[in-house]
Amino acid sequence: MSTSTTLAAPAMVANVPASEAPAAWRQWLARHRQAVVLPVLFIGAMVIFTALAPGFLSLDNLTNVARQSVYLLIVSLAQLLVLIGGGLDLSVGAVVALSSVVGASVMAAVLQAMPDSPGLAILAGTAAGLASGAVIGLINGWGTSALRIPAFMMTLGMSSVVFGITLLVSGGVPIYGLPPEFGQLFGFGSLLGVPTPVWAALAVVVAVYVLLERTRYGRHLYATGGNLRAAELSGVRTRRVSIIAFMLSGVLSALCGLLLTARLDTGESNIGASMPLESIAACVIAGVALAGGVGRALAVVVGTLLIVFVQNGMNLMQVGAYAQTMVIGAILITAMALSRKS
Amino acid sequence: MSAVLAHLDAARCVSQAEPLMRVRGLSKRYGTHLALKGVDLDLMPGQVHILFGENGAGKSTLISMIAGANQPSDGWLEVAGHKGSFRSVAEARAHGVRAVFQEFSLIPHLTVADNITLGEEPVAAFGFLSHASAREQAVRLIADLGFDIDADAVVADLPRGKQQMVEICKAVRQSPRVLILDEPTASLSEHDTQALFALVARLKAQGTAIIYITHRMHEIPLIGDSLTVLRDGAQIATVSAQTPESDLIELMTGRTVSDIYPVPRGEPGQVLMSLRGLSTADGAVIEASLDVRAGEILGVAGLVGCGKSELGQACFGLSAIASGHLTVDGKSARFKHPADAIEAGVWYSPPDRKRDGLALMRPARENMTLSSLAFGKARGVWLRAKAEGELLSHLSSQVDFPQPRLDESVANFSGGNQQKALLAKGLAQDVKVYIFDEPTVGVDIGARQAIYKYLGELSAAGAAIVLISSDLPELLGMSHRLMVMRGGRLVSEFARADYDQHRILEQFFE
Repeated sequence: MSTSTTLAAPAMVANVPASEAPAAWRQWLARHRQAVVLPVLFIGAMVIFTALAPGFLSLDNLTNVARQSVYLLIVSLAQLLVLIGGGLDLSVGAVVALSSVVGASVMAAVLQAMPDSPGLAILAGTAAGLASGAVIGLINGWGTSALRIPAFMMTLGMSSVVFGITLLVSGGVPIYGLPPEFGQLFGFGSLLGVPTPVWAALAVVVAVYVLLERTRYGRHLYATGGNLRAAELSGVRTRRVSIIAFMLSGVLSALCGLLLTARLDTGESNIGASMPLESIAACVIAGVALAGGVGRALAVVVGTLLIVFVQNGMNLMQVGAYAQTMVIGAILITAMALSRKS
Repeated sequence: MSAVLAHLDAARCVSQAEPLMRVRGLSKRYGTHLALKGVDLDLMPGQVHILFGENGAGKSTLISMIAGANQPSDGWLEVAGHKGSFRSVAEARAHGVRAVFQEFSLIPHLTVADNITLGEEPVAAFGFLSHASAREQAVRLIADLGFDIDADAVVADLPRGKQQMVEICKAVRQSPRVLILDEPTASLSEHDTQALFALVARLKAQGTAIIYITHRMHEIPLIGDSLTVLRDGAQIATVSAQTPESDLIELMTGRTVSDIYPVPRGEPGQVLMSLRGLSTADGAVIEASLDVRAGEILGVAGLVGCGKSELGQACFGLSAIASGHLTVDGKSARFKHPADAIEAGVWYSPPDRKRDGLALMRPARENMTLSSLAFGKARGVWLRAKAEGELLSHLSSQVDFPQPRLDESVANFSGGNQQKALLAKGLAQDVKVYIFDEPTVGVDIGARQAIYKYLGELSAAGAAIVLISSDLPELLGMSHRLMVMRGGRLVSEFARADYDQHRILEQFFE
């Protein structure tokens, strides 16, 4: 706008656009703003930490990052499924703890009854842990789609309920007595030089990617989150679709809880508390719309890696845990601000 | 609160020669679509100026700009020394321009009295609100206006007609210079309508200029002084409100019917869908009976809110059926979900494409093939890119949708192309009965023509079509047969040979 000081300008001047002909790249940027934010943040973080954090780009450290990011990655993909369907799952962290405690309790009990069959104990514990996640997801999905409780309140309430159950089952203390093979295999084991948990996460990435991009269910999920009523009128059974999304979220969160249990060698009720915020942050940074209907699995992988890289880089730079928490929140808000459509 | 009457004597002295508000060349452009093309109005004090036109003719756009809810792309208005446009509703109010829209601005959980005094609440000692004097003011205003409303009732508990009266109370409380009433009688009872007319007469005597929108022909000579006809965003004529009804309808509909409509070609065959005494649980449809045959287009006409939309939805499993029979292709049907209806061979295309029809941020291709994944040619648990691609090229050529842009999100398209994407959805699976609810709402003439061609081809290919529309010329041009709905009932039926716009319109009103 011109900064002319003439006050007596004619009253009927039409609105003149701020700049007459924006450069082509600016138009392109305006249209693809959302798509640009993530790579820019990612490369920016890589450059900063490579310069400032000693050993950031070493193979050891990168393997370490891969191993650390597994847990958040699985939960972020769980969150992605629910967000695409137009929901929100704040109970992912509580389900991580619940599956850890339930899985560990069952494993320990079965092993005590049949000390000679650790395989059976692992199988039973894993099944129980995953089932607990599925049940919580079922309740979340039922409450949000059948009772029409907003997902925010439903899952917030459930996370409190689930956390209470977890404390009740565990008595608030770690659960010991797991078969040693469980930790050896799923916590510290590796296959072809790649840690087992990384294989698990890769399998989840592939599965979620295929589900979203290659199946009818994926399409129905995007449509349900994109416009519930339109999906319904197209013959999509939207209630079923969102219940399944919440159940998948529960099962994936439970998987994360079991992998953490294997790593810790105990069932813990105090894990996963930071998962809801971090998983939502990973999704939002990756351009997933909180209103539903938009989001890609591979972008969420990059979003998760960004968060873990930032945490790892700050660790290497010996930034304190308190400051790290602040930085994660700030990145989330910055990403939101940058990607807003003007 | 006798503010309404306070300036009565003074107002009578206002000269009749000078307009209270002048509007010149007011235009509104949405993207490439010109919704309003250079309207001129002179609002005289103490006169009721009626805006008349079909749905989508530009009446709402015009009043929203006069009331400050929307800003013109071009043109200006002048009232009380203010020339230009209003940037907000508050600015319009400050200059004495008030509007009663069809969407209310009431707070549902507050009482009538609290709503009426909202924004200018009487204050007692220490700056606290005085509920007693707020109530007293409201009661006095309501009594003064001769309305029948309980000041203590919570607004959410009132029927729509009473809420309308509360809205009117709010609008006239500060004695507006210009008052806009958008179809105020559409939801009023006979008694309330009389009270409203009495109020309008008093406001006229007081020198208020009134803009009045109505679809009820008989109200026009009763209440109006002058009248402006709008059609497709253009000002067609400004005439006396005493102009004969038939002339007004001709001005309103204007375009020659034969131009853009393909002649119905299909030969009606066997009955594909029939209703017998169908009533919905919510009472919107009462004992509806009809038959639609293969190759036939059955038009359903009526005023907005007469239940014609609900009739279509009831056939598609969207509202619970209380009694009566629905038969599709010879089989008795009771659909619990649209999926059941599509499976049985019924498709419903909703009137509001943005709200009910399309997932706007998803690509056009995903929207168009959505239902075919479960019911149509791309059916399967796994997506099949090739089958879907073939289906998409077939669909886009049928509805004349720009194929190279299939990957863009639907939000990027014009209303016409969005509507084509919505209609394409119905072709993605084998369905025998199509129910189109306002298939051309808010689209320009070019897209309309493409849509009519599509409807004609569909019927020629043997589909049974129920065409629900508020656009009477469209129904007259497209349908083999036409039924009129009024107050939830199908009240009369016309064969194509007997089509007579005036006789059909008469059936719209009691």
